[in-house]
Amino acid sequence: MFKNYIKIAWRNIWNSKIFSAINIISLAIGFSASFVIGLMVYYDFTFDDFHKNANNIYRIKTVFNSPEGTYGNAGVSIPLHQVVKEEIADVEQATTLYTGSFINVKNTENGIIFKEPEYTVFTDPEYFDVFQYNWLAGSPQTSLGGPNKVVLTQARAEKYFPNIPAENLIGKQLVYNDSILVEVSGIVANFTKRTDFIFEEFFSLETAKATDMSDQVFNDNWGSTSNSSQLFVRINKKTPYVLQKKLNDIAAAHESDYNKQMNIQRLFKLQPLKELHFDQELGIFSFTEYTSNKSAIWGLSIIAVFLLLLGCVNFINLNTAQATQRAKEIGIRKTLGSSKKQLVMQFMGETLVLTILSAIISILLSYWLLKVFSDFIPAGLSFSVFKEPLVLVCGVLLILFVTLLSGVYPSIVLTRFKPVRVLKNQVTTAPGKAGLRKFLTVFQFTIAQGFLIATLLVSKQTRFLMQSDMGFRTQAIGYVQAPWSYRGFDKNLVLYNKLKRIPAIDKISMGGMPPASNSTHSSGVNFMNGDREINTEIEFLYGDSAYLNIYEIPLLAGRLPLNDTIKELVINETALNALGFQDSEKALGQILKVEDDYRIVGVMKDFNQRSLRSGINPMALTGDTYRKDWPRFRDIHIMLPSAGSGQLQNTITQIEKAYNEVFPGENFEMHFVDESIKRFYQSESRLSTLLNWAMGLSILICSLGLLGLVLYTINRRTKEIGIRKVLGASLAQLNLLLCKDFLVLVLIAFVIAAPIAGWLLNEWLQDFAYRTELSWWVFALSAIGMLVFSTILISFRTIKTALKNPVNSLRTE
Amino acid sequence: MIKITDLEKFYRTDEVQTIAINKLSFEVKEGEFVSVMGPSGCGKSTLLNILGLLDDPDGGSYIFNGIEVAGFNERKRANLRKHNIGFVFQSFNLIDELSVFENVELPLIYTGVKPAERKERVHEVLEKMQIMHRRKHFPQQLSGGQQQRVAVARAVVNNPKLILADEPTGNLDSSNGNEVMDLLTELNAAGTTIIMVTHSEHDAKYSHRIIRMLDGQKVTENILAEYQH
Repeated sequence: MFKNYIKIAWRNIWNSKIFSAINIISLAIGFSASFVIGLMVYYDFTFDDFHKNANNIYRIKTVFNSPEGTYGNAGVSIPLHQVVKEEIADVEQATTLYTGSFINVKNTENGIIFKEPEYTVFTDPEYFDVFQYNWLAGSPQTSLGGPNKVVLTQARAEKYFPNIPAENLIGKQLVYNDSILVEVSGIVANFTKRTDFIFEEFFSLETAKATDMSDQVFNDNWGSTSNSSQLFVRINKKTPYVLQKKLNDIAAAHESDYNKQMNIQRLFKLQPLKELHFDQELGIFSFTEYTSNKSAIWGLSIIAVFLLLLGCVNFINLNTAQATQRAKEIGIRKTLGSSKKQLVMQFMGETLVLTILSAIISILLSYWLLKVFSDFIPAGLSFSVFKEPLVLVCGVLLILFVTLLSGVYPSIVLTRFKPVRVLKNQVTTAPGKAGLRKFLTVFQFTIAQGFLIATLLVSKQTRFLMQSDMGFRTQAIGYVQAPWSYRGFDKNLVLYNKLKRIPAIDKISMGGMPPASNSTHSSGVNFMNGDREINTEIEFLYGDSAYLNIYEIPLLAGRLPLNDTIKELVINETALNALGFQDSEKALGQILKVEDDYRIVGVMKDFNQRSLRSGINPMALTGDTYRKDWPRFRDIHIMLPSAGSGQLQNTITQIEKAYNEVFPGENFEMHFVDESIKRFYQSESRLSTLLNWAMGLSILICSLGLLGLVLYTINRRTKEIGIRKVLGASLAQLNLLLCKDFLVLVLIAFVIAAPIAGWLLNEWLQDFAYRTELSWWVFALSAIGMLVFSTILISFRTIKTALKNPVNSLRTE
Repeated sequence: MIKITDLEKFYRTDEVQTIAINKLSFEVKEGEFVSVMGPSGCGKSTLLNILGLLDDPDGGSYIFNGIEVAGFNERKRANLRKHNIGFVFQSFNLIDELSVFENVELPLIYTGVKPAERKERVHEVLEKMQIMHRRKHFPQQLSGGQQQRVAVARAVVNNPKLILADEPTGNLDSSNGNEVMDLLTELNAAGTTIIMVTHSEHDAKYSHRIIRMLDGQKVTENILAEYQH
């Protein structure tokens, strides 16, 4: 029986090639989107789920509630590590992690030096209890006991000591930063499953004493928090409420005076291990490049569900529309004794064949889509994830689900035919109501229209953001940074002087980052305005006397700092307001208490310090006031010749030459301010690209469905068209007759989609401090675009039919 | 084998109720060949549909093989139908997407016959109907006569007790028509009960008895040949 069903299914698919193709393509698009997005969801949600008791492992992070808002830090203050380990019974095991960096490492046997080893961490033996590794040599209990010991992963061991078995590596020596002698005390296998714990070298905590991490690792200050100092715990309770309460008490007991003064509340919060991978705000470890965005994943999933639903709708619509063509077969089968159940099974079998065909095509499409969407897809995600058993099971379940979703209703409609009526040729329409078909078509076009409106508005907003004036010059300014390994100032000055001598460079300045960047340094300031005490947070911008000039930021009052190291400030207008001044002149000469006293000497015009998503914060320009300990002037900002002048490349070559002379062996990189600003809008650009695709694919599926319905309608109304033509109907009248039913549906879809899309987009725009208008023309353009497109699509077939000789049309009856 | 008493069937539209069968009663014995004749719209086809358990009567009794079937639901009717009744239609009603073999095989599939036995029985009946050489062809590749032979083959492949034929020669020329009637006579001679609706006096002469209908009622009944048990 089953073989018979499949055979019939195949013949039916083959006999109605156009409808089958429409169904298969529509479902294949939906499947491809589901497969690719499903893979992304699976990939991101299976990070670090393999650790023993993974559900009981938490990171403790710090959250600050301040009057300006809430912000956080992935790390905790150092003394908390000790308290948690020793005083909290709910904690079964706790481990400390300090991510550190080295300039180089040398194999003492062969003298080979490896630059900047990545993924290095200082930790305790408990780390290997919380996160269990397969030990190839050494033991978790002893390997990190005592100073100057390192446990290497197998991969790192093979890099430093090629072709030496793990057991022979114990006791081998490495020299870090040319001076720290460390002994290899253990080798562990790298994790083979998906993990964010990609450490390669584990140093004992005592080893930190010999490095510049010493201050951080052995610091008893409750007031200092760094994200390189992280604390992980494994708890022995299913619910962490008790522990969380104890952490709250500890935080309250050790609140710093500064926080109390600034009205800031610090909290230590438990963060489940499985949430780490999605922490876009705090990140995971300092070197982690990729954290997943949960809301983006849900957004993508919704798009996939919509595309799949659109494909199913096409299937339901076309199959119920075509039902009459199969009435005879159903009548005969029923007469010969087929039960309803058997018929339903037969049609479900056909649906299954078609769905499987679509799935096969979509697997090939997915392979291509993974490449097209490489920007959206994490680097570790490859096509091979398809082979994982859970993914395969989900794939099969999805196919069955889609088969049921698409097939059940048409099957029921088809089996409702009464054999008596069929055999008397009394069947003209399917027993299902055309109302459902109309409803589904409206549903499809509502989604497509929604995507279209969203695409237009998001691209309008992105264009608005990119073209808006930031309040400072962004064009033709480049900057070079001193290498991270160089922490001094002298070489920066040498480079500055060399660059100054390049004739094509008109303006040059030394300072920190450009006026708008994601790298900020802010500090709480205290100011007595009369008898009113004002505490506020101010962002610091570091630059010399040419900095405001090169970026064309107007000075509204006062002057620039007298020299590069004097403790003087030029505040912006927002800071002026925050400090309670109406008049710039009155602020001049006032003293702000930061860590030391700073004098306000000037007021500069406000500009945007980050993307236009956020507003303008209080800010102050200052010099390199702590140059001896921590030079802030690490960037040299250069006004470049314009690209059209022909001198740009030559100038950059000269800058590179100078850089290599000052920092031999370091990688030269020229950053352009306008490109850095574009990067602020990466997520908007990505959203825009994604919406373009979602819109394109949804319109494609809807068009295919519409085309199918038009073909069906035209076949059904061929005789009517012939008669009307004989009676004198014009081509335009005939076209209108055939188009209007469909266009009404498209119009209804717009009426439904417009307010929903408008409301959602308005919500989205609220995230931006600067936003474009929700213009009426976006909606009008979207409606007109969809109507014109649908008319062209429908007319393509209707005109062809209307042009036929009516004699032929009538003969077909 | 069949006994109907005061059988009624109405067709209703919003405003009008039409009586298709009006208090009709008759009996058909096992092995009989009965023709039902009458002008268009007299209720012949409606009667055949009710007898074939494709349609429900609105009143009266229908006893098939000693069982009252008038109130049967669709599932019960389908079950009884597939084991006991074969159909031959004027327009053949073969499934275009299936080959000759597959069309004939269909009733056996629905009665749950195993594939090997199905093949044997289909071959046997196709041989008998002299259409074996066309078994791989599709209906549209056959002449009208051949299509009706396939339809007859399909009707008899399950060895039904009753064959209901609705104008079986209506779409055929006289030579093909005679062939089909000969086939039906042979089947009847072998013991199958046949009820045939026809307009053709010529075809009706093949039967034992002719029931003539008008406006849903039996008007006359002619016995043409002595029917032997």
